[in-house]
This record gives sequence, C-alpha cells and structure tokens, in this order.
Amino acid sequence: MSIGSLLQRLDFLGRRIEDVFLATLLTLMILLAGWQIVQRNFVGGGMIWADELLRLMVLWLGLLGAMAASRDNRHVAIDLLLRFLPKKVKPSVQIMLHLFTAIVCGMLAFYSFKFVKMEHEYLTEVLTGLPAWWFELIMPIGFGMMSLRYLGHLRRTIYPLPEEVA
Amino acid sequence: MSALLAIVALFGAPLFAIIAAGAMWGFHSSGIDLTVMAIELYRLAEMPVLLAIPLFTFSGYLLGESGAPGRLMRLSRAFLGWFPGGLGVVALIACAFFTAFTGASGITIIALGAILYPALEQAGYEKNFNLGLITTSGSLGLLFAPSLPLILYGIVAQQAGGDIDVKLDELFLAGALPGILMLVLLGGYVVYKRRGKQLGGKITFAEVKSSLRESIWELPLPFVVLGGIYSGYFAVSEAAAVTACYVLLVEVFILREISLRKLPVIMRSSMVLVGGILLILGVSLASTSYMIDAEIPAKLFNYVQTHVEGRLTFLLLLNIFLLLLGAILDIFSALVLVVPLILPVALSYGIDPLHLGIIFLANMQIGYITPPVGLNLFIASYRFDEPVLTLYKSTWPFFLLLLASVLIITYVPYLSLWFR
Repeated sequence: MSIGSLLQRLDFLGRRIEDVFLATLLTLMILLAGWQIVQRNFVGGGMIWADELLRLMVLWLGLLGAMAASRDNRHVAIDLLLRFLPKKVKPSVQIMLHLFTAIVCGMLAFYSFKFVKMEHEYLTEVLTGLPAWWFELIMPIGFGMMSLRYLGHLRRTIYPLPEEVA
Repeated sequence: MSALLAIVALFGAPLFAIIAAGAMWGFHSSGIDLTVMAIELYRLAEMPVLLAIPLFTFSGYLLGESGAPGRLMRLSRAFLGWFPGGLGVVALIACAFFTAFTGASGITIIALGAILYPALEQAGYEKNFNLGLITTSGSLGLLFAPSLPLILYGIVAQQAGGDIDVKLDELFLAGALPGILMLVLLGGYVVYKRRGKQLGGKITFAEVKSSLRESIWELPLPFVVLGGIYSGYFAVSEAAAVTACYVLLVEVFILREISLRKLPVIMRSSMVLVGGILLILGVSLASTSYMIDAEIPAKLFNYVQTHVEGRLTFLLLLNIFLLLLGAILDIFSALVLVVPLILPVALSYGIDPLHLGIIFLANMQIGYITPPVGLNLFIASYRFDEPVLTLYKSTWPFFLLLLASVLIITYVPYLSLWFR
C-alpha cells in the first residue's frame, strides 16, 4: 500500500469517527435537554447534574465541530487579499497561512494540556464526583487534531500526492 | 504585532487563529502564563445559554433540508399572493421568518432561493430585480427572535462585564419593530416597482385551506417558541430544546421527509458551523479578558470621549464604522470582537445596550450585501451561477433602502425601546 492511500484511509477513518461522535453527542444533547423540560414541567424535580452535563456537552460539541471544520479548512476567514493575488504567489501565501494556523492550534493544545494536568493535580471535580479532567481532555485533543489537520493542508499544498490531484 | 496579525487575517488565515494569536501575544507580553487561554476557553462550558446555539442551528438546518421552506412559501402565497408585487412581499416575509430560525448563515438563500427564484421569474419579475430581492432577503430577519446573532449579542454584552444587564427576552422585543421597518420599506419598494403589473393570483378558500393543512405540523412552532420566550415560560435554551425535539420528531418521524441515514450528515454540517462560532467565541473570551486587563476599552473610551462630541456625532461615526466592519468581517466574529470594546463607550453617550445591539446587527445585516466581500453576494453568485458583478448591480437599490432603515433605527431609539 502506498503512503498516499494509507494517508487517505487514515483521513477517511478520522472523518468517520468524528461524524459518529458528533451525531451521537448532538442526539444525546437533544434528548437530555428535551427530557429535562418534560421532567421540570410534568414530572417534578430536576436533575442537578443534567444542567452541568449539558454545558460540558456544549464544550465537546464546539471542539468536535471545530475539528470537523478544520478538516476541510472551513473556518471563518476574510480572504480579501488572497482573491487578488497572482496565481503564482498564492500557494506560498497559503503555505504560510496553514503553518501559522497549525502553530497557533499546537500552542492551544499544549497549554490546554497543561491546564488539564493542573486540574488533574488539584483533583477538580464535576458532576458530583467525577474528575473534571476527563471532560477537559477534549481541549488538548481537539486542538491537537486541528493542528495536525492544518499540517496536513500544508503538506497537500507543498507536495500533493498523486491520489489527491483530481 | 497587531498590524502583522491584521495582514495575516486579510490574507485569509482562520479568524479564530488570529484572535487566539493576538490574545496569546497580549498575555505573554504582560507576563501571564498562557494556560489562561485554556481557562478562558473552558468558560464555554460555564454559560447555560450557549446550549441554544447548537440546538437552534440544528433545527434550522433540519428545517432547511425538509419540505418546510416550500410549505412556508405556499402558505404565505395563499394569503399574500393577490396584489401586484405580492409574490415579492411573500419572498421577503418567508425569508425573514426562515432566517430568524436559521440564523443568517446563508442557508436562507440556498433553501428558499431555489423555490423563490423560479417562482418570481415565472411571475414575470425582471431578472436583476429578482436576484437583488433574493440576495437581500437572505439576511433579512436577523432582528427577529430567536435569531442566533441576537442571542450572541446578549451573551457577549453580558460577558463584557460591568453592571450591564441585557436580558435576552428584552432583546427579542427590541428587534421586532426595527425588523418590521425593514420589511415594510423593502416591501413598499417591491410593490412600487410592480405597480400596474398583472396581479399575482387570487385568494381562494380552497388554496388557503389546503396550504394550511399542509403546514399543520410546522404552524405551532413559532407560537410555541416565541410565545414561550416572550411570556417568560421558557428560557431561551429551553425554547431551543423544545424546537430541536419538535422539529426532529415532525420532519424525521411524522412527515418522514428526512431519512435516518441523512440525519447524521445534517447534524455534521450544522455542527461545523456551531464549532466555528463557539471556537471564535471561546478565543474572543480570552482576547476580551486580555483587553480588559490592559484597559484597552478604557483607553478607547477616553480617546473617543475627547474627540467625539455629542451623541449624534457618535452615532454617525458608529454607523460608518459598523458598515465598514460589516463589509469585511462576518457577523459572528464582529459581534464577539467589537461589542466588548464599543459597549462601554456607547453607554457613556447614553445609548441603551439594547438599542446598541439592534444598531449593531442592523448594520451587520447590510454587511452581508456590501461589496466587495459581502457573504450573501457570493452565496447568491454561486447558487444562481451569476457573476458577482451582476449581483453588485442588482442589489444596490435594496442596499440603499436598508441603509435608510438603519439610519432610522439608529436615530429613533423609540423603535427599539418602545416597551420600556
């Protein structure tokens, strides 16, 4: 198997995992949020942990969504100047941009990891007794994946594999 | 450094990366450990109202993929299609309604444009007029509850600190009349252009009845959501949960217009948008904290206070600034970046935070159709396969009308604050 098709398979696998996670998480969120309203209005009593869990789910959805956006470079951007650049210069500018984004995401991953480690040491708890760092781990993972994705875009711009030239 | 970042931004680096880099640079130069970035980002998990963002966005995407836009169109046509220009007015109202629920992310043009464009063409609307009308309609409705930008403004204004109290339900009330003003001005123009032309059809009892029956499942939605929020029965995030559950139940299980196989795809594409917005919000929480630490809002405040005299001058400058901002920045980034900076300044000129929000969004709405980079111009160009230049030409009368309404909204605070 060539490196190209291996990369493609890895990419495909990553996308599938992300999609499954996103759909599952959103479905759970809708059901939980809906159930809470039913409970509050008709059954009586509420689950205190449900509010907190829903808020943590927002963080997870946000980062998973951001990961999904970075795989096709679909983040909000102003490409005012890029439109007017001559074709020859464009790739080198794009390389710089991907590198910049990859570095920023890498730094965010690094410092989120430091944060998670701190929370681990301080034994911070959420949801009445669970370690907070379990839920915070999505931050370093998310930013780490985004950094890798932008390095991938960088590689594709410099050296597109035969499989990627459509 | 900030100049460098601005250049990188203009070349098209993702905005979240720019904002994050700026915040990290700022924190670093004031000797603060950068773990603060993660702490700030984690605040995304500490705001209950944020739950509304994924839930409303998903509902909007699901509605857009279902047959709801077609039914909405048929229903409003059955009631309003009879006078000259009626169909154009139908287009405006249907789009405004749809955008309020989908949050002006360009889905309106894609979902409704496909139905409206051929319908207007068939009714003999001139091509340029048709294009301009639909492109403009794509961002109409931003000011109506429960649009995402309105919610986001409420969140950001609250986070901006101080003793500012911006209630979301009040914000929803504040947007109503200004939004209607835009509809009336644009609708008036459409009717004026179509005067003396053939009538759009007749109201027939049979058509009214059958279009009502067809939309029977979607009809309760606005009443439940808006009624629930305005009456104070639901918090905004609860209304979002009800909407998401209801739309899911109706479109997937009752009407069966969306297959279970297609559902994950819709979930994914809606969450890509949500991820983008939340990430920008998260990093801008960090950059706002830095700016408050560095007393940048206070410096801006002093600068503006010494150079700008009087409320009217300030409002005029604010309009110009926001129009320029809207032309280069998308509405979500503009909100999270700029509102914390201008809110304290605006307050000192005696501008109500609710009024400021409406002014802000109304200006940003124009940004969607402002050349050279207005988002809706490009979406419409792509969707209808017309050069962007054609769209510049076809949207300008609408642009002027929206500009007029923005000025009215800005200088007549009563429109936004009548309920006070």
